[in-house]
Amino acid sequence: MFVSGRARILHADLDAFFAAVEQRDYPRLRGRPVIVGMGVVLAASYEAKAQGVRTAMGEAHARRLCPEAIVVPPRMSAYTEASKAVFRVFEDTTPLVEGLSIDEAFLDVRGMERSSGTPTEIAVRLRRDVLERVGLSITVGVARTKFLAKVASGVAKPDGLLVVPPDRELAFLHPLPVKRLWGVGPATAGKLCQRGITRVRQVALLPEAVLVSMLGRASGRHLHALAHNLDPRPVQARRRRGSIGSQRARGRSPWSPDAVDADVIALVDRVTRRMRAAGRVGRTVVLRLRFDDYTRATRSHTLPHATAQTDAILATARGLLATAIPTIERRGLTLVGVAITNLEDADAVQLALPVDRRDQDALPEFKGSSQHRLVERSVEVCRRPRRGSSIRGFSLGGC
Amino acid sequence: MKLSVSRETFLKQLGVAARGASTRTAIQTLAGVLIRLEEGSAELQATDADLGIRAGFDAEIESEGSVVVPGRLLLDVARSLPQDSLSLEYRPSQQDVEVISGSACFHLRTLPLEDFPKLPEADAGSALAVPAAAFVETIGRVARSASRDETRPHLTGVLVTAEASDLRMVATDSYRLSVKETKLSSPLAGSLEANVPARTLQELSRVASANGAEEIAVTALDNQVVFTVGDVVLSSRLVEGRFPNYQQLLPESYEHELRIDRGELLEVVRRISLLAQKNAPLRLAFGEGSVEVSAQTPDVGEASESLPVPFKGEPFEIGFNPEFFRDGLESAETEELVLKLISPLRPGLIESGDDGGFIYLVMPIRLNA
Repeated sequence: MFVSGRARILHADLDAFFAAVEQRDYPRLRGRPVIVGMGVVLAASYEAKAQGVRTAMGEAHARRLCPEAIVVPPRMSAYTEASKAVFRVFEDTTPLVEGLSIDEAFLDVRGMERSSGTPTEIAVRLRRDVLERVGLSITVGVARTKFLAKVASGVAKPDGLLVVPPDRELAFLHPLPVKRLWGVGPATAGKLCQRGITRVRQVALLPEAVLVSMLGRASGRHLHALAHNLDPRPVQARRRRGSIGSQRARGRSPWSPDAVDADVIALVDRVTRRMRAAGRVGRTVVLRLRFDDYTRATRSHTLPHATAQTDAILATARGLLATAIPTIERRGLTLVGVAITNLEDADAVQLALPVDRRDQDALPEFKGSSQHRLVERSVEVCRRPRRGSSIRGFSLGGC
Repeated sequence: MKLSVSRETFLKQLGVAARGASTRTAIQTLAGVLIRLEEGSAELQATDADLGIRAGFDAEIESEGSVVVPGRLLLDVARSLPQDSLSLEYRPSQQDVEVISGSACFHLRTLPLEDFPKLPEADAGSALAVPAAAFVETIGRVARSASRDETRPHLTGVLVTAEASDLRMVATDSYRLSVKETKLSSPLAGSLEANVPARTLQELSRVASANGAEEIAVTALDNQVVFTVGDVVLSSRLVEGRFPNYQQLLPESYEHELRIDRGELLEVVRRISLLAQKNAPLRLAFGEGSVEVSAQTPDVGEASESLPVPFKGEPFEIGFNPEFFRDGLESAETEELVLKLISPLRPGLIESGDDGGFIYLVMPIRLNA
């Protein structure tokens, strides 16, 4: 893949997005520590972050850290509106915009030198435009690769701009702590730390095989590439979303297997409806759990074929939940989520034989009886395809 | 416990047995191989709690006893030994096994013997003898249709039925269904019906092909099955849950029945499948007298090739998973095959042309455009 010789990828990331929207809309909140959330911190303003408040922290804990904080309930519609306005600014800047989430995006500004100026000039103007048009501050990192641009914006936060020139890339990257690398969460950082590896430079010195043996194949290769600043992925405009998911915070109320099962059913139902509405099918079912101490765990299973069928996904999600029950019994449960990844368009769906039909479970003594023959005949009638019948989900015997 | 054995003999049987050992287990002992010297005979055993393998071997036994040693390690050590013979001795005070070959000496710590499960014994009296070659051939024709998805355990097996001169095996992962009926040259002394894990049968094939035994003795117990092939005994749990009533899945009639040269179609499918990546379907567009096989992968490219076939009637296009379709063509094995179709959303059937008792039902991929 072509990687240009010049820093021309921008990573733009809104600062403390939800909290910033609240401070923009309610002047009395400006300059004061603001926490957006109900029970759990969804976002914190920089004033609150300075006191140690972090996203996903329990509200009570956050209040103890920052007693003067003002806690406001989330207003998702206001954030969606603000996000749309910011993305309009992005799209006015360059046609190549790859949205990553509600508050961050990659922008590729190659070939715009003559019309719009250097990448640095574009970044300066982008920050000014977002502030003037939407009233929010945004941090921008500029580099040759997506990964480095994202690292740069992370380092420059809040309200900053950092350009990494091509000849300074490794000098910039190597002294950083490993957790700056994309994909290094607490678990991977912990594994590296156990071996005394805390800086990117130390990762870069390790052969790929050693990293693979420490972290597994995918993760090891990924980190090896990033530590050497290898990231050939281009900015992809209008990228399709990679996962569809939903979650439910349970607070600290006592849990029961039935209640969690009911949550999982509701989540799977919601997620599969959204998938069908979007014409998407997926292969990997991910169950997300958060325990009483706000640590998290995920369990996932990849199916042999993509599906958006509620029962297939529910069976898998329940299987994952069953494996996690011992942990939940020990550590409680404050959030459960279901997401489907490995998404594909639903226009090429593998149809399946109805091997799990209920009539297969007919009791042996019932089989061969006159009633059973009657049932068999009615099944036959159903089995013939009806003209004009719905195509979706059609399979042999789909009556 | 002490024995001397030729390295070749030991390595051969250890290679068979160690395949039964678990590669990922919470019970450490299951990653081990049990060496058992008892009543004048020597045997290696390994199991992952689902499949158990016992392999007897000729050895000079100096003293009897049993010990469990890490399987993978023992295999690596045995392979690397410098001399053609080796001796193996358990040293109770050190709780290790001493392996000596020439001047090379290894001490391997043992694993807890009491955690090693007792493998079921085959009762020679109630065993059913089946011809090994026919059994192995039949496994090879159907086993790849079994599901590898552990969340659907009842589909991970092969339904094996044998009675008189008829041996039949059926497997399905719900996307395709393979049935192979094999006529045996002489009638069996009894009958058998069992849903056996596909992995067990694949292991059995490997063992039977390697040791050249003519017969396989099968004993079906309550929820277990035991296969004896020469000096190797495989035991396995049976698959729980009812095997799907596969007869019900077979359509009663088809719109099109096409006799096709299997080799030609397979060649075309293999070629064109190169461009059916990332779950892209293989498309078969049937028109008067020909079929166009095509595939397209976004951002990679596309391919197409046409082949004369005796098709008549309204043209239509059907999509298949390339791997599933190819599996069916490969498993048919005869020079000619019969491809039976109904419509783009109904299953297709591949049948071996010589009435060889093989059918392969495959569900299509729904095509949008």
